[in-house]
Amino acid sequence: MLQPELIQLLTASDLVDLRIDAIPKLQVGFRPGCFFSSSRSQDGEAKLTFIPQQILLNKDHELFEDGDIHRHLYLQNLSTCPAYDSPTARQCEFRCYISGCSQVFSTVEDYEHHYNTLHRHVCSSCQRSLPSARLLDIHIQEWHDSLFSILAERQDMCLVEGCGSKFRTRDQRKDHMIKIHKYPSDFMFDKVKRIKNIKIAKKNMLQKGTSMEVSMSVSEPEGVCEVLSDQPEEEEYMEINHSLEPGILDPASNPINTVELSTDHDTAPILSVTIQPTTNQQRPQHNRERHSYRVPRTVCFGQGSVQGFRGHGRRI
Amino acid sequence: MWRLNAVRHKAGRQGSDLEEFKFKRREHEKELRRARKDSQLVSKRLLLNDDEEEDGTMDTLASDRVVELFNIVRHGRDLVKKEADLRALRKALRSPSAHLILIKQPNSIAILVTNLCGPNPQCRLEAARCLHELSHSPHSEVDSLRLRQATPYLITFLSGQSPKFTELCLYTLGNMCPDSENVRDMLLAQGIIPALNNCIQIHRTNLAVVEAVGFTLSQLISANYVTGTIIPAVLASGLIPRLLSVLTPDSQFGLGPVIECAWCLHYLACSNVDNGALVAQGTLLHCTSLLVTLGVAVAKGSIEEGIELLIWPLLRCVGNLLLSGPLGALQPQLNDSRLLAALCAFPQAFLQTHPALARESIWVLNNLTAAADSSVFCSALFYLNLVPALIQLLPFSHGINIMVLRVLGNIAHQGREYCLHLAQAGLLPALCATLKMADTEVVTFSLEVLGQLMASDPQLAEEFVRQSGLPVLEAIQYSNQETIRLRATHLLEHHLPPHCTVDTSASQ
Repeated sequence: MLQPELIQLLTASDLVDLRIDAIPKLQVGFRPGCFFSSSRSQDGEAKLTFIPQQILLNKDHELFEDGDIHRHLYLQNLSTCPAYDSPTARQCEFRCYISGCSQVFSTVEDYEHHYNTLHRHVCSSCQRSLPSARLLDIHIQEWHDSLFSILAERQDMCLVEGCGSKFRTRDQRKDHMIKIHKYPSDFMFDKVKRIKNIKIAKKNMLQKGTSMEVSMSVSEPEGVCEVLSDQPEEEEYMEINHSLEPGILDPASNPINTVELSTDHDTAPILSVTIQPTTNQQRPQHNRERHSYRVPRTVCFGQGSVQGFRGHGRRI
Repeated sequence: MWRLNAVRHKAGRQGSDLEEFKFKRREHEKELRRARKDSQLVSKRLLLNDDEEEDGTMDTLASDRVVELFNIVRHGRDLVKKEADLRALRKALRSPSAHLILIKQPNSIAILVTNLCGPNPQCRLEAARCLHELSHSPHSEVDSLRLRQATPYLITFLSGQSPKFTELCLYTLGNMCPDSENVRDMLLAQGIIPALNNCIQIHRTNLAVVEAVGFTLSQLISANYVTGTIIPAVLASGLIPRLLSVLTPDSQFGLGPVIECAWCLHYLACSNVDNGALVAQGTLLHCTSLLVTLGVAVAKGSIEEGIELLIWPLLRCVGNLLLSGPLGALQPQLNDSRLLAALCAFPQAFLQTHPALARESIWVLNNLTAAADSSVFCSALFYLNLVPALIQLLPFSHGINIMVLRVLGNIAHQGREYCLHLAQAGLLPALCATLKMADTEVVTFSLEVLGQLMASDPQLAEEFVRQSGLPVLEAIQYSNQETIRLRATHLLEHHLPPHCTVDTSASQ
């Protein structure tokens, strides 16, 4: 249980000089102009307040409780027990700090996986988390960039890293990726999230005009929607709305495709993960001005939860 | 006797008996905790006689006969027979219900006291045993005030020569001490402290008696409201050097006496009445030497059962004595660098069994590193390469990681060199982990330490960024705890290199 170096130190022979005053002392003090003096912010308030402090503990201090109990158990002859269940050291838990996401994890790896899956590379318009910065860029460009959508020339980029090909239509891109990059044909090309029910999705589509907030990248209603995927409901937290593919509105689309696209996948979609808010979550307004719109500002339920359509409409 | 190996027979229980024992023990522990919260934590000890087991068969028939037995004692004239009568009475008193009956008899205590001082030594012994049983009574009616007729005699006998008898008197007095302030004042007035001093001097080679003296003294000074008169009297009495001379564990006899003396020293030090006097008499030196010895034993793997009962009071004593004066003045008593190694070894050894002990060990390190002239100890921690051992304790809750962060913060406050050494020891990645923890206090301390590191040298800020620390700080800005939000923002704004922005696209 003890590390070898410690054992070595303590069991060293007497010939070794053990005196503390024989140990070379490191130089004390900071460089001139060190920032430490700026622990006070501009308004003069101290932000970092720790100062080294010796602590005196009196007999009744709570820190002494366990030791006292142990002593008294001994005095009362109760301390010897073959299987002594004393409190054992617990490892600290980790908590996700994203506002409203109060998940707790027992290892740092679990926490990081959670964070990477749900809070990184998040599109602040539709609260979806993309696997990489590149795909996030593409997503924003294709779904939320109003200028882009107005331009006559639509340029869907190939999703494969390193391949810069651009295409006019989604189908062309899809074909390219299947043929050239050998993607399976049922790959989630169009970043659809799960919809359970197309009908309700369609209904919400009609309600899209009632968005509550306007994000920076919102594109405007009706005129744009039918060709492109962009929806003004970014502020609506029912993620399903975003799944409306051009295919649904596109007369040329094959209903079979729609069904395919709407299949509820239980495993995480390859490209995107949508994040569902809790119903009573306040949006942290104060953060909006400080950070780029990529910064996540909504809540999540965690990766494993149902992310499909719940059927009660809008966020409260 | 309370030699730890003497209690081992209890471990021989099997099956449901063991479970029941554990259950009772847990319940008992809860009671003790409640009592402590009410400042009513008190224990009494019962000395077992050779002819009985502690919870052996109680002669219930005899306890019904208490009145009868007592009357025989009261009226008996034959001294030889009286011893047997007293013995019978004493056995009857093993049953607590008999206590209530006995004290209701007129002059019961007076009769026992008469026999206590009588000419027959065996009668004295048996009478003392009777009183001892009464002093350990669970009934509140059998309180020390009732027994007060006996105390002057008991105290006088402490200067006597016979160890067994003296031991009985000691434990009886020890059981009476916690009962009330009145009792303690009375004992003080009757001269218990000089008597204890005398006793420990006379019987210094008899470690059973020494243990009993330690116990009685600890009961006297651990009670409430003792700082006014009792503790100053103890400090002035010359007891301290005698207690200190006990602080060498006698492997043959076990840890009992040392444990008691160590707890006495702890109660004296934490009362903070005159810690300078304690230090002047060599307390710090003796306690640290013993801690080093124990540290060596722990390193060798020979962790004796019950050793934590000794380590605990020593740590507390040293921890509190470190505040008795400027650290530089205490330096000569702290010159063994192995003390630092021992303070790092105890947490490693006892983390799983006694995490509170680990925490207190780090507390002592805090007191060593937080003073104005702690730089020598901070340097020593690096020289002996002890910092990684501390960093490894950061994942653990129970207040352990907070105390470790305090120590690390103390070290960082010494200067730039110290911060650089801390970073070399691997602190930055460890902080990246503690910053993600659920406990707000841990995160606050981590931010403080991190702030100090980054402020001392820009390299460290860059290193932190390289360790992917930025997203962690940014995430904290979303917390609903203002303290950590403010600190994280402050760090991001003031202490990170200018080219680092909030843009997350650069980080993967």
